[in-house]
Amino acid sequence: MTIYRHSEYDFDLSRGKGDRYSYFMEEPLRSCSCGHSCSGKCSNESSNRPTDTRAESDFTSNNNAFEMQEGTELSFMDQESAELIWVKESCNITVSSTDTQIGVSLQAALQLAIALVLNISIADGTQRDAVSQELTQNFNMAQKNKQKIFIYNTKDAVVTTRDTDLALNLQLMLQVLVALLLLVEIL
Amino acid sequence: MSDSKQQPLNNKVVEVMVKTILRKNGVQPDEVKNNIPEEQKQMIKEMVEDLKKQVEDFQQNQAKDKSE
Repeated sequence: MTIYRHSEYDFDLSRGKGDRYSYFMEEPLRSCSCGHSCSGKCSNESSNRPTDTRAESDFTSNNNAFEMQEGTELSFMDQESAELIWVKESCNITVSSTDTQIGVSLQAALQLAIALVLNISIADGTQRDAVSQELTQNFNMAQKNKQKIFIYNTKDAVVTTRDTDLALNLQLMLQVLVALLLLVEIL
Repeated sequence: MSDSKQQPLNNKVVEVMVKTILRKNGVQPDEVKNNIPEEQKQMIKEMVEDLKKQVEDFQQNQAKDKSE
């Protein structure tokens, strides 16, 4: 008996799929005309092209990364779980594996709820986008869960597999939602 | 997570995080409070209670599966 289950969830509740950018890549240190080793753009370098340089030094020193984005990144979650259970030359084996589908839909519901509360409570669109992005950024994550089980020459065994990452994430999102509601005094 | 009762993050931590983000973006919680009509508050409250229950059920199911 061979059971193979593979599922991939890709959530993006923003308007369409957004490109994701990472802005905090360390640039290798390089020595420059000022004699220092500088990361990225040299701060001591005199600017020949004023507009250009300004944009780039903001880029490396400003930690409000979301300002540099196109506003499409809201909540991105990537989950992958793969299970392979192989039972060979055995009898009376019970296999149970938790189905994470319910959890996944719950997760989407929670994300939606957070977005909804923000929508209602913050009237200013730009402000809202910024807040929602920052909130969801805190639980952006990629999860991978791979299990392989091989049962050979066995009798009367019970095998249970479980995916706990999801439960953890759900709890966290619920906490954020509740904290948000407490702040605007709905609860 | 071994115990379903245990929270991945302390509630206070999350609260501070949310508060900081709101303040950083210039959102005044006091202002927001007055923005939401009473009936809408009630609806959101019910929705969240519902979600909370669902999450708890889900986690209890997982815990139950484990103990079996």
